[in-house]
Order: sequence, then C-alpha cells, then structure tokens
Amino acid sequence: MSNDRTESILNSAFLKEYVPTIGIECHVQLKTVSKLFSGADNNAKEAPPNTLINHIDLGLPGALPVLNEQAVILAIKAAKALNSRASNFSKFDRKHYFYPDLPMGYQISQFDEPIILGGYVNIYDPINQRAKRINITRAHLEADAGKNIHPDKKNYSLVDLNRAGTPLLEIVSEPDMHSAEEARLYAEKLYLLMRYADVTEGNLYYGNMRFDVNVSVSKTNELGTRAEIKNLNSFRSVERAVNYEIIRQVKLLEDGERVVQETRGFNDQEGTTYSLRSKENADDYRYMPDPDIPPIILDDSYIDKYEDETNHLPDYYIDKLRDLGIDEVSSYILLDYELEEGAGILEYVLSLPKNSVKPIVNWIINIESPIILKLANITNNKINRVHSLYEDLLSISQEGLINSNSIKELIKKLFEMDKPPKDLRLYIKELGLIQNSDTKELESIVKKVVEDNPKAFNDLKNGEQKVIGFLIGQVMKISNGSANPSIVKELIEKLI
Amino acid sequence: MSQTLTRDEVLKIAKLAKLEIADDEIDVYINELSEIIEYVKQLDKVDTEGLSPTNQVTGLNNVFREDKVLYYGYTPEELLKTLNNVQDSYVKVKRVIE
Repeated sequence: MSNDRTESILNSAFLKEYVPTIGIECHVQLKTVSKLFSGADNNAKEAPPNTLINHIDLGLPGALPVLNEQAVILAIKAAKALNSRASNFSKFDRKHYFYPDLPMGYQISQFDEPIILGGYVNIYDPINQRAKRINITRAHLEADAGKNIHPDKKNYSLVDLNRAGTPLLEIVSEPDMHSAEEARLYAEKLYLLMRYADVTEGNLYYGNMRFDVNVSVSKTNELGTRAEIKNLNSFRSVERAVNYEIIRQVKLLEDGERVVQETRGFNDQEGTTYSLRSKENADDYRYMPDPDIPPIILDDSYIDKYEDETNHLPDYYIDKLRDLGIDEVSSYILLDYELEEGAGILEYVLSLPKNSVKPIVNWIINIESPIILKLANITNNKINRVHSLYEDLLSISQEGLINSNSIKELIKKLFEMDKPPKDLRLYIKELGLIQNSDTKELESIVKKVVEDNPKAFNDLKNGEQKVIGFLIGQVMKISNGSANPSIVKELIEKLI
Repeated sequence: MSQTLTRDEVLKIAKLAKLEIADDEIDVYINELSEIIEYVKQLDKVDTEGLSPTNQVTGLNNVFREDKVLYYGYTPEELLKTLNNVQDSYVKVKRVIE
C-alpha cells in the first residue's frame, strides 16, 4: 500500500469510527562490557560470527550463569528515567521455547517479580501542542538471543551466538497510545530517556533498541483483538507499522471478518505487515524460577547511590527551559542536538543570563545547528569555544553591526579556527563582514542592479512583489553579503 | 486408573517439548503422564496456607559478577570445534523458516 493510499484511507470516514489502542514493548540492549550472565565480550556489533561466545552462552551442561552487577546498576538508572524505582526484591525465571538462536532451550528472564514495576513517560505532541503521560507496566532484565540467518535456496539456517546473552531491559507500556504518531513519539522519548540515563549505546541500526507494538481497534469501549508486530528497529517503522495495522484491522472488521490474535512481521520496503505465527498463550512458556540465579535484594541505600549517579534526564531540562520561556518543540531539538554533538549545549543554555536565553536558543536552532551538522568533524572543544562567544555575537547583531547571513559565515569561520580571535569586533572588520548601512554607497549599487535587470524591475513595478527578493539578492551579491538588507529593500521600494 | 489428561493435552505437551509421537503412542502417554500427575498431585494435600512459594533453596542472594571480560581457558574457535555442524564459523541447523 502506498503512503498516499494509506493517507487517504486514514482520513476516510469509516476509519474515524474506530479507536486504535497501542501498547509497546521495547528491548533495550544495555551497554555493559560483558554479557548478562557470562564473561563474554558484549560488543557484538561488527565481530565475526561466534567469536564472543563461551560455554555459558552455548548452554553447555554444567555451565553456571552468574549475574553481571553492572546490568543491575543500569536497570536502577533506567528505573529513574522511567519515573519509577528499582524493586527491593526481584528474581529471574526461565522462559522455555525452542529456537536455534536460544541454545539453552529457555531464556533467562523475569516473570512475576521484575526489577521495575510501574512508572511513566511524558510525551509531547508538537502538532496538537499537547503533553501526554504514557504509563509503564513493568520492565525486566533478560538475556538476548543469538541471530539466525537463512541463506537463499538452502535447506539449512545458520546461527551466530555473539548476541546470545547480551543484557536486555524489556520495557512494557500500558496500552495508553491511540495513534501511530503517539506510538512514534513514545518510542522517540524512550530513546532520549535511555540515552540520557546512559544505559544503552542507543544505536538503532545495530538493534540496540527494538520495538514490538501491540495494536487493536474498536468501535466500543471494549478493546478489540490485538496483533503484535515484532522487531521494529526505527521510529519511522513504528509509525508506519501501526498505521498499516490500523487500516488492515478496520478493513477486516468492515468486511465482517475478525482479527486473529497473532504475531506479525513488518516489511520495511513495502510498509506492510505479514503473519508470522498465532500467538502462544503465556502458559506455554512454562515459566519457572531459575535456580541458578539467586534473587536480587537491593537495599534503599544501594538504589539511592546509583539514582544519584544518574545524569540529568530530558524532563529536567524541559522543565528548566520552560521556566526560561523555551517551548517544548525547541527543547526537544536541543535535547537531540546535545546527543548528536555531545556539545554541553544544554548546560550552557541554562547558565546564560535570563534575557539572552531565548535569542541564543533561536540561533542555535535556526542558524547554528544546520552548519554544525555539515561540519561533521569538529571537536567538542571547538563547539564550547564558539558557545563562549555567543553573548558577544548577540550584542554585535543587536547593534546592527552584522547581518544574519554574515553571522552564519562568521560562526563557520570560528569553527575552522584553531584559536578564537582576541577581539571579535576587530576580527569581523578584518573579514569585511561589517554590515554596510551606508545609504549612499548602497544607493549606487541598487541603481546599478536596477539598470542591469530591467525586466525584473518592470515586473516589480507591475506589482509582482516576490521579484524584490531577487533584486535584494543581487545587491547582496555585489556587496559581498555585507549590505544591510532592510535598507536595500527601502531603497528599491523608493525607486518604484 | 483415572485419566487426568486428554488426548489434546498430550498432543500439546508433545508439541511444546518438540517431540513427535506416533498415533498408537498417544494412549500410552495419556496413561503414563496421567499417572505422573496423579503422583505429584499428592502435594495438593499439604496445607500451604500463609506460606510464600519457595523459589530457591540456597539462601543466597545478590551473587554478582564484576563487569569484565573473562577468559575461561579456551578460545571461541576451540569451543566451536566441539560442535557437530559448523559452516563458516556459523552453527548450522535445520532450516527454521520457509
């Protein structure tokens, strides 16, 4: 189904009678050095197959798994990010099923006493400008499985167990989302939370965060039968899969058929979901307490210690920035930007005098970030140095000394330098970036541009307002970008 | 003797255990598995009112390992050599999807 078609169905009348309900399970790979229960290296990203394995990961007889304390510590931090708190008591259970990527025949997971119970995540919908709370049911620690590959036209599958035993935190939400967009916003926020809590590398390409979405639709207050779409590894595919699934289920119901409770896969190329298998009942996993792993008992001082170590979380910054008059959309851009650039930009903004926060945030969002993204290889050191010049830059621009084009030029130059200039004003003069507000000088350039472009000027006289931008652009060009654009505009308008 | 289990339940248990059983074996297992369940059912007679379930008997808790890579005395290559079916360092198994 093409996106256009999806869109048209989404907007159709009969779809609006149905309320979709969505719950999400997210598997977060924790950034430990070694695996959850074995001393194998946990960095499976690019390692050749089966080079990060040992007898515990292979489930050989007599192997004794021993819990990695760091995974527990990261779960405590994740709990804080989820507005929850690690349980004082939790334990591990065996979840049985047969698949070649699970050599033990069971996954070590947590069933009825997980390390995190309850919690919530705040999301913000920028289109409707609405905040919403998504409740968290639970989150538990478990060991990841290996990877199967299925070579074309062969009668065998191949298994790489490097990933088997990687620590996962599975975060289960309540079915609190009611649109594909909310599902994406939740996934995005979860990503920010886990990155800021510093519990995962958060590389979606390598599957560091994988989403399973449960979708149902209903016309009444009673929930419909749900389908689970497994293993989505981008925010976009979460949104697309939910949208596709809503439409598929509504169509089934409208055609008088019923939705089957099942597990489905997502085809990223086509944006469609397909049936994998009918859902087994929870009982079929034959959960039992794992006698190899003694329970985890955390006293409050231990939990407090690692909660205190947790970095500031996104909502901390959003609240502080709101107090300074920054809207949530801008705050989220800054939060993303901080992660991409590792720039210390948030602490910098919060340290500014109150009245310069807004203009500087506007700069960062409108002027600086696109430039920075282009200059991929700049160091944090350089970014911080340029930030320290912001207040000077701001007063220079407020004095009308330099126009916005030249500011971009200047920031770019500042990034390229090894040492910041001693006197910024002097440096701007040397570069010839001082804004030219000399009316006489500009008048002669405007005259020349008008003479050189008779047709454009004629069109302008005949009321084609947009031509003025072209003429201003020509003046800017001749003045090497130094002309004060508002004066140029006035001069051209005088000639009409 | 009483037959606690139904035919369908035995087939389901076989499926979960990934075991194939022949048609003429089903009755045998209905009897044998039912017997086992009857035997274990004796535990139902014990009064467990007010007791919490026993999850483990060692009395241990918080058996933690420091987060570092350990060498267990052999290399991954040596470990792979102990497996029956390895191809290009992958473990080779019967195809699991169509």
